[in-house]
Amino acid sequence: MTIMRRLVPLLLLALLLPACASGPKYTEVMSTLPSPTPTQGRIYFYRPSALGAAVQPDIKLNGQKIGTAKPHGFYFVDRDPGDCVVSAATETEKRLTFTLEPRQERYVRLKIQIGVLVGRIVPELVDKAEAEEELKGLSFIANPLQ
Amino acid sequence: MRPARAAVLLVAPVSLLLVACAPEVVRRPAQLTPVPGQSESAIEVLQDASISVGPGYQRVIPRGSVWTSVGRTAQGEVFKPVGRVFTVEGTHIYEAYIVLDGERVVGFYLPVERAFSPPPDGRETKLSIRRRQP
Repeated sequence: MTIMRRLVPLLLLALLLPACASGPKYTEVMSTLPSPTPTQGRIYFYRPSALGAAVQPDIKLNGQKIGTAKPHGFYFVDRDPGDCVVSAATETEKRLTFTLEPRQERYVRLKIQIGVLVGRIVPELVDKAEAEEELKGLSFIANPLQ
Repeated sequence: MRPARAAVLLVAPVSLLLVACAPEVVRRPAQLTPVPGQSESAIEVLQDASISVGPGYQRVIPRGSVWTSVGRTAQGEVFKPVGRVFTVEGTHIYEAYIVLDGERVVGFYLPVERAFSPPPDGRETKLSIRRRQP
């Protein structure tokens, strides 16, 4: 019984770890990332929490898949200025709308929220200062579509 | 079954359903008209103000935040935050600018939806502001 008590948390941890992003940290890659072209803006997506790690829905930008909600990971896309609609769907769809200007950086936090049957991912628009603080411990996902 | 346990079993699913069904933000189409000469004017908020932005959702407009005028709607003058983000929230989340009539926040302008959203509780919030000219 004692062995089982020790094994169960380890097994749970082992199940959780592969679900989290594992690339280089934000602080390591930030200075190496290319700048967006002057006519485009950049949108960062990140999920700071591993809560509900198995829930990793597709993240769509204006209807097009750009990645998933990988726990402890972040990635970015560069886009032409205009209206942006970010969506994530599990048992229900959650949307975020905002505008993007040339050379502007936007930060979208993918927050887990309790649902009726499964957790939901809620995309939230976040201030740069707050986002950069949260991004420090997260891993870069170079190919978010893979 | 003990009454306390029965109450928990009843309240928990109902609470979950309530969370699941947050009402949507009220919106109606609005025309944002730039005002010549006003594009450079801005306001600075002098005191923190808590404001209702959706059914059950609050935001704080912080002291020291600066908002720049981007035009007018039929409801008032529209101010966009400088160097920060502001959103309203219901079932979904929308970037928003505040709409002022004098010093009262009479609602929000949603730039993607091109829509006006009134305060969810119908209550207008008075801001303590200082106007800045270009």
